[in-house]
Amino acid sequence: MDSSRMPVDRERGVRAFLSRHPFLILALPLGLVGYFVYGGLLWNTWVSFTNWRGLTPTYVFYGLQNYSRLFGSPIFLTALKNTVLLFLTIPLCIVIGFFLAVLLDQNLRGMGIFRNLLLLPYALSFVVTGTIWAWMYNPSKGILNTVLRQLGFSQWQAMWHTSQETVMYAIILALVWQFSGYAALVLLAGIRAIPEVQIKAALLEGASRVRIYRRIIIPQLKGAVMTVVIVIMMYALRAFDFIWVLTGGGPGYASHTLSIMMYKEAFQATRFAYASAIANVLLGLTLILILPYLYVMHRRAAQ
Amino acid sequence: MRGLLSKVVVLALLLTVTALYLLPLWGALTTSLKTDEEIDLTSPIAWPQRPTAAGYINAFNYLKRALLNSVLITLGGTLGSVGLGAICGYALALYSFRGANLVFLLLAAGIFLPFQAILIPLFQTIRTLRLYDTIGGIVLAHTAYGIPMCAVMFKTFYSEVPKALVRQAVTDGSGPWRFYWKVVFPSTKLATVTILIFQFTSIWNELLFGLVLGGPRSMPATVALNNLVGTLAAQWNIQMAGSLLLTLPVLIVYIFLGRYLVRGYMAGAVTAV
Repeated sequence: MDSSRMPVDRERGVRAFLSRHPFLILALPLGLVGYFVYGGLLWNTWVSFTNWRGLTPTYVFYGLQNYSRLFGSPIFLTALKNTVLLFLTIPLCIVIGFFLAVLLDQNLRGMGIFRNLLLLPYALSFVVTGTIWAWMYNPSKGILNTVLRQLGFSQWQAMWHTSQETVMYAIILALVWQFSGYAALVLLAGIRAIPEVQIKAALLEGASRVRIYRRIIIPQLKGAVMTVVIVIMMYALRAFDFIWVLTGGGPGYASHTLSIMMYKEAFQATRFAYASAIANVLLGLTLILILPYLYVMHRRAAQ
Repeated sequence: MRGLLSKVVVLALLLTVTALYLLPLWGALTTSLKTDEEIDLTSPIAWPQRPTAAGYINAFNYLKRALLNSVLITLGGTLGSVGLGAICGYALALYSFRGANLVFLLLAAGIFLPFQAILIPLFQTIRTLRLYDTIGGIVLAHTAYGIPMCAVMFKTFYSEVPKALVRQAVTDGSGPWRFYWKVVFPSTKLATVTILIFQFTSIWNELLFGLVLGGPRSMPATVALNNLVGTLAAQWNIQMAGSLLLTLPVLIVYIFLGRYLVRGYMAGAVTAV
C-alpha cells in the first residue's frame, strides 16, 4: 500500500462526502447539546428517584422519598423562599434602570461615557463583585460603614451580609448595583426605538414631558421591560456565584438559595440523589416561569 | 435658560449616580494599593499615602497558575462554542431542512435551563471520561453549554443575509461550504467578533464549572480567587488586588471593544426575547 497517498485520498473523500451532505456536521454540536443538556436533564431526573450517594457505585430506586424529605426540610424552605425573594431585584432594577435611561436619553455630550461606566459592573465576574462587596459590607473597616460614619449617618451602619436579618437584602442591593446598568441599557434602546415623529407631534400639541413619558414612551417599552424581567429572573433562579463568594450561603442557612443548597448537598455532602431532587425543583420552577413566555415568543415568531 | 438649567440638573444627577456606582470599584482600587497597616489606619476610600504594588505581587504569585488555566479554558471554550454554534446558526438561518423547527426550539430552550439541573450528570460524565481536573474537561463543558446561546445569536445575525444570495449560490453551483466562506462569513464579521467577545467574557467570569470540574491542576482564576479569599480573609489589599487582576482582561475588552460587548448584551437580550 502506498502510504504517502493515503491521507490525501482520505481528505478528498471526507470533503467530497461533506459537500454532498453538508449538515452532517451538525451532528457534533447537536450531539453535544443533546447529550449534555437533554441527556443530562433525564439522567438527573432518574438520579433524583434513587438513593445514590456520590461515592458508592450502586444505588436503588427510591421513589419520591427525596422529594418528600425535601419538602419537610426547613433548610429547603428557606432556600426556596430566598430564591423567590431574589425576584425583588427585578422591579428595583427596572425602576432604577428606567430613571437612568431617562437621564441618559437627554442627549448631553459625553452620554456614552456615563452609559459605559454605569454598565461596567454588569461586565464583571460575580467572583470579583462578591469579593469587592465583602469589603464594601465589612462591618468594622468596610467601605459602606466608614462612609456612613464619615457623612454623619452612624445610625445607618449595619452588619450587612454578616447578620441573618439583613443578609438577603444586602445581596439584593449588590445585585441591583450590578444589574441596573444593564436594565438601563435595554430600556434606553427601547426608548430610542420609538419614532421621533410621535414625540414631536405630542410636543406640538402642547403635551408636557411627564405626559409624553406616561402616554407615549412607557407603553411602548413593554418589550424592553419583558427582556429585563426574563434576563434577571433567569439569573435570580440560578443565582450561585455571587452568593457563594460573598456568604457561602450563611450566616447559618440565612442566604441559602436552591442553587447553593444543591451544590453543598452534591459536592460537599455527596448526597447526589437528594441534590438532584433539589435541582429538579429548580428546573420545575424555571419551566413554570419561562415556558409560557417561550410559547408566546414562538407563536409570535411563527406568525 | 430653562434648557441650560435642566442640562445642569441632568448632569449633576448623572455625576452623583455614577460616583455611587463606582464607589465599590474605587474602594477596591485604593485598598489594593495600600499596606495592611495603612488599611487599618485610613479610610478605605482615601487614596494611599504611599502606594505599593505589594498586594498585586502577592496576588499574582498566588493566582498566576490559575490565570494561565483561565486563559486556556477561555480560549478553548470560546472557540469551541462559537465555532460549533456558528454551524448551527448558519444551517438554521439560511437552509431549510427537516426538523429545523424542533432543533431551533431545543437550542433556544437550552439557554434558559439552570446548570444545576445537569451538574451531577456532567460531573459523572467528565469523571468517567477521565477528564476530571483537566483543562480539557472544563473546555468541553463550556463548549457544550455555550452552543445554544451562540447558535441562536448566530441565527439572528445570519438571518440578515439576503435569501436571494443563497438562491444565487445554489444556481451558481457553490455548495453551503463555499458559500459560507465566500459570502456569509466575510459579510458578518462584526457578528462573529460580537459573539466571540460575548463568550470570552462569560467564560472568563464563570465560577461553577471550574468549581465542580476543576482541581488543583486545572482550576480557573475565579476559583483560585475565591480560595484566596478563604485563606487570606483579613488581607484586603491582596484580595482587592486579586479581584482587579482577574478583571483586567475584561476591562481591556470593555475599554477597547466595548461597542461589541454592548452589542453582544443587546443581541443576548434579543435572543432571550
